[in-house]
Formats: sequence, structure tokens, C-alpha cells
Amino acid sequence: MKKSNINGSQTATGVLLASLVLPGLAALAAITPLGAAAENAPEKTTIAIKYGHYNDSQPGWDRIKVDAAQVYVQAPIAGDWSIEASGVSDNVSGASPRWHTQNTALSGASHMSDERKAGDVKVTRYLARAAVSASVAISKEHDYTSNALGLDARWSTDDNNRTWTVGFGSASDTIDNTYSGGSTAINRHKSTNEFMGGVTQVLTPTDIVQFNLTRSLGSGYFNDPYKSYDQRPNQRDIWIALARWNHYLEKFDASLHSSYRNYSDTFGVQSHTLGLDWVQPAGRWTFTPGARYYSQSAANFYLDPILDAQGQYDQPAVVARANTNNLHGSNQSTDQRLAAFGAITLSMKVSYAFTPNTLADVKYESYRQTAALHLGGSGSPGLDPFNANFIQVGLTHRF
Amino acid sequence: MNRTILSLLAITTLSWLGGCSNLGQVNAWDKGNLAKPMMTFEGDPLDQRFVQHIYASKENSSGGYGVGGGGCGCN
Amino acid sequence: MSRWRTLRFDFSAMASPCSLQMDGRDEHVMRRAANEAMAEVQRIEKKFSRYTEGSVISRINQSAGLAAIETDTETSGLLDFAHSLWTQSDGLFDITSGVLRHAWDFKNARLPEPATLQGLLPRVDWQQVERHGNQVRLKQPGMELDFGGFGKEYAADRAAAVLQSHDINHALVNLGGDLHALGERGLPELQGTPWQIEIQHPRQDTRQTDTPLALLTLARGGLATSGDYERFFIHEGQRYCHVLNPRTGWPVTHWQSVSVLAANTTTAGALSTIAMLKGPDAPAWLEAQGMRYLAVQHDGQVLRSNAATD
Repeated sequence: MKKSNINGSQTATGVLLASLVLPGLAALAAITPLGAAAENAPEKTTIAIKYGHYNDSQPGWDRIKVDAAQVYVQAPIAGDWSIEASGVSDNVSGASPRWHTQNTALSGASHMSDERKAGDVKVTRYLARAAVSASVAISKEHDYTSNALGLDARWSTDDNNRTWTVGFGSASDTIDNTYSGGSTAINRHKSTNEFMGGVTQVLTPTDIVQFNLTRSLGSGYFNDPYKSYDQRPNQRDIWIALARWNHYLEKFDASLHSSYRNYSDTFGVQSHTLGLDWVQPAGRWTFTPGARYYSQSAANFYLDPILDAQGQYDQPAVVARANTNNLHGSNQSTDQRLAAFGAITLSMKVSYAFTPNTLADVKYESYRQTAALHLGGSGSPGLDPFNANFIQVGLTHRF
Repeated sequence: MNRTILSLLAITTLSWLGGCSNLGQVNAWDKGNLAKPMMTFEGDPLDQRFVQHIYASKENSSGGYGVGGGGCGCN
Repeated sequence: MSRWRTLRFDFSAMASPCSLQMDGRDEHVMRRAANEAMAEVQRIEKKFSRYTEGSVISRINQSAGLAAIETDTETSGLLDFAHSLWTQSDGLFDITSGVLRHAWDFKNARLPEPATLQGLLPRVDWQQVERHGNQVRLKQPGMELDFGGFGKEYAADRAAAVLQSHDINHALVNLGGDLHALGERGLPELQGTPWQIEIQHPRQDTRQTDTPLALLTLARGGLATSGDYERFFIHEGQRYCHVLNPRTGWPVTHWQSVSVLAANTTTAGALSTIAMLKGPDAPAWLEAQGMRYLAVQHDGQVLRSNAATD
């Protein structure tokens, strides 16, 4: 019988044992054949760095620019463990509207420049057909701190065709904008607990699918302190269902990745995200064109802009409505992110392998968000289209 | 309405794949193509972090892919 | 250091088409390693061939019934291995069964004369091989040793060992379908993926489609296949292949082919041959050995191991 010791390797028996005693085969010390690397501890250490640049714009003015530098390390430890760590440093600058976005010219925007530093560490222990991980993440901006921890486990069936995963995450955030001269959020807190269950299934020699279900329960301060009269519920519960499918195409020696995510929360927002990527290797190059379609419904406390008889934005009416809501303690927000809209992203990633262990990549994405792209055609009225470009350049090395 | 769409999608997918018998019982001897790097779900660890971070600040849906990441006050 | 490249060396050995393929950057080193590996295969073929005058096997066979022959560590080790296989296969794997070729004429597709076959059977008996230390003697005149059951596979492992000694880390040795993978692909564009291997269907010549029987990936280890299609003839609709049962002298009929994946090719080859000999008991026996296998039954039904995969 094949036996496994705690390290997952096997003891040789029978014919194999006899062969290993042959003097000519002493140098070939393997005990088990190795096909495709499975859910084992990584054999190599990986280091990756990436620089990302983002800028967005709306008709008439540029909004936010972000420059981000990221680093990632993954290393095996003592045969059955691995550690992963990553860090990011963002530089955000630009303006964010206080009211509805198309009204910024009148009501002004809050200009800001901020830095965010975040880091996370994850330790994984590998077992015979399973792995368990624990992670810690910290993110700091001048007005926002987030501490999170996560636990997840995954295990596979004997034939490796099905892998189950469960995860739990808990985040504790503190919002305090006294630094930036604000007074709208002083030492406010938000905490979120997340539960996730998923299964990955090999269906055919060319198809593998994954289903994930996430339940998130959040309570605390959800308002946007930089928006006027923004008052949101102090609880937000979410359901997310995700389905992914990778299909191999023999004819092109390429793979097609599709994904669909369904999101709904107690703010009343429901969204669909559809993603499609075509991964095409060509010698040392790999080309990955991709497309993403996103559509969300408005939060049930999102308020559309009010227009006057001439069809112009009616600032006094909007303020009056806000005051009334405020007096009644009702939830309200004019934040475009809570409106009903759709968005399309077109992306292209190109990577080049200098050696089997050194890879460089560049990815460009073009994003457009408008009310008209909303599924069904009619998003929230009065939304200005929103465009963004992001580009990432990275280098990965294994040793 | 969403449930109908999802059910139709599921039925279409399953009937397309239903032509293959032994669904889900793929043997190690047939996994040559599944082992290729382009067939994993994970991919580049940093690529998605940056992108998902951007979407979380421009849209109202975030998450669903894994647990344990912290939040941010992006606006 | 220059560019990554893949080199392939095709040659003929042990009556089979062979090849060495490797990914590397130093062509000089790769060529030197390949030449040494090919020389090693030729050395083993010469040393253990029944047909080469002066080979170890020939000298032992010619001394059958006479004096003992002194052998070296390598030969002794292989005879120990043969003994182990005989024990583990309940006597089905017997390297003294080569003598039965005198009754079977595969070239002219002729069935054996019953009397001839009966006369040869008493000479098929591993227990009549006397061994003392490095000395070996076949007790009865007319007995013969035949390393054909694992010779090619052993050569594949030895070729891999030679490549390894030259620090070749990305290579695939192929001796007539017996494979040894020494590390995953090295070319940058392949990013460390294993070697892609297609296993042909045993009845490939009579099929409409040319899709392989299996698509396997291998980064380290041995793969060997025994089949009824390597040397055979068909007489009155019945197939007679070269894998003969040592007790009856007649070919096995249960499997069209058995492929086995193991840590080295020698093991894989021995197991696949024993599986052919064990007939319907093969799957259970291979599972007990803890080995992954792929077998095509006489009626075309394909069986695969349940053992844990990757």
C-alpha cells in the first residue's frame, strides 16, 4: 500500500522499492512522479513589483489621479508552509464633488491629496490534500484606518477534481477627518464580518468552473464625510454570488475566462458584473484582451438631482430637500456611486517571459461609466458620464 | 427576473456540457491542458488588487472573490 | 549565457525510435550531455542484448548447464531486481521465458508446434537460476535469460541519470515510448509547465479519429506502456502478441495496452509488463502497488486508476 507520512510524501513499496536499490538509479531519487503542480507549498520564492497609474475625468474637468506602487512576496517555509506579504503605497490627488457631480462647478469640490499605505501578511499551512491560511491586513490613510484579519481553508477530493473553500474575514475601520480640517467624522467606526464558501470543479479536460457565495454583515459609520448632507444607514448586509469558468481552446492553444458576479445589499443596490478575458500565449508573449460590463441599481436612499423649469440643476431645491431629510433623520445621498448606472471596461494585457522565471507585464484599461449603460437602458437621470484610464506595469521573478 | 436569467444561463450551460458524459470525473491522464498556467483562476496577484481597489471606489459592489482584505476610505 | 532553446536528438536503439529532448541555454553542454546519454543507451543495449556476441547475457546463456559466470554490480543488481519482480508477480514475470521465442515465429506469423512449445516450458523456471554473490549460472542447458522486460526502461532511467549528472534540468527521454521526464520545460514561454505527453491508442491504425488515448503532463518520473500491438500477428481473426505467459507459453489476451506512471521508468515498465501478464487481476494489483495506470481492455474499454492524482 502507498503510505503517506505527515509531510505528504510517500514511502516506496513493492516494485518501486526494488528499483530504487539498483545501483545505476541511485542518482534519480524521486519517490513519486510529478505531473502538474497541485495544491502544494510553492517550490520557489516569488517577488513581484507593480506600478499603477489611474486618472479619471468627467466632462469639463479632471478629477482624481492615483499613483500606486505595489510589492508582493511569496516564499515557501520549511516544506509545508508558505508566507505571502504585500504592500502598497498610493498617492491620490484631485477633487471630489460635494454634491451631484455635474454641479461641482457651482457647489465646488473638495480638493485633496492623500497618501494611503497598506500591507498584508498571510501564512499558509499545507496538508495532504488541503491548506489553511491566516492573514492580517492594515491600511492607513490620514482620515481612514482599517485593520482586518482573515482565515480560510481549502481541501480537495482524492481525484483533485473538486476543491472546497471556506473563509472568514473581519475588518474594523476608523474614520476621522479632523486631520483634513473636517469635522463631519470624528472617531467614527465601522466593522464588517464576511463569510465565504466556494467550490472549484474540474468539469472536462478543457473546462474548470468555480462558484463562490459570500455573506457580509457590516455595521457602523457608512456616510461619506466629504459629501454634503450624506446620511446612510448604520448597517449594510450583503450577498454576493460569483461564478467563473475557464475554457481551453485546443485550436488556438488559448483559454477563455468568463465570470459573472451578482451583488445585492441592504442599501438597495443590486449589481451585475460580467467579465470576459481571452488569454492567448504566442511564444514568449501572452496577450490578454478583456472586457467587463457592470450595471448597478441605485441605493434606495439615493436622490436624483432636481431640475428647474428650464432643465437646469436647481441647487436651492436640492439643498432644501436635503435639509428636510436631515430634519426627519432620513437617509440620503447624492453620491454618484450610489446611483443607477452601467459601465464598460476594455482592457489589454501584454506579458513577456524573459526566462521561465522572469516575467514583465503591461496592462491598459479604459473605463466608461454612464447612466445609459445601465442594464435595461435607464439609469439615474442627470448623471454625467465618467471616464477613467488605468495602466499597470509590473515585473515578477521567481527563484 | 434575475433568478430567471440565472436559471436560463444554468440550463444553457448544463445542456451544452451535458453532451459530455462523465462530467466532473476527469482523470489525471487527461489533465494535460488544465495544467497550463493560463487555466488557473488566481493569475497575477497584484493585477487584481489594483483593479478591484479602483472598482471599489467607483462603484458600489466590492468583494466576492475572497476574504480578509481590509477596507479603505477611497473617495 | 545565450538564449533559451530546445534541442532534440533522434536516434535508433533497442529496435525502436528514440529521442532526447531538452531545454537549455548552453548548447555545448547540452550536446555533450546528449551524446553521453545516447552512448549510455548503446552501452546497455550491447551489454544486455541476447543477440550480441560477447554481451553479458549471451555469455550467461551460452554457459547454461555449464560453469557459473562472474558478473558485475550492475548486472547483479538487475538480477536482484528480476528476482523481486518474479516474487511480486507470483512468478508471472520470469526472465527465463525468453526461450519461448524459439517456438513463436512472429515474423512469419506462424503458430507454434505444440510439441516444440511443450519441450521449451520446462526451461522456463527462474528458480533454476543459481546465484552466489556476483556469480550466476543457469542450471539447465538451453535455458536463456532475457532482459527485454525491463531493459529499455532501465536504459531510459540511465540516460536520464547521465543527463542529470551534466546538470540538465529540463529533459525528456523517450526510448520507443518508454519515457523519463527530468524536470519541467525550461523555455521561458512555457513558464515551467510540465512536458505534454500524448499516449497513443493501442488500435490507432484502425481508428477513424486520431485523438490520443490520453493527454498527460509529466515533470518528473517515468511512464511506460506495454501493449499487444508492438510485436504481433493475426491468425484467423485472433491476435497473438509477444507478451507470453511463462506457464502456458501462450500470449496474454486480456489487455490491449497498460500504461503505468511511476517515479522511474524501470518501475513503470516492469509494472506494465506484469499488468499485461496478470490479466483481469491487473487493476487490483496496480492499486495495491500504489501506482497510477491507464489500461485498455481487449474489448476497448478504458480503465483508469483511482489512486490520488497530481
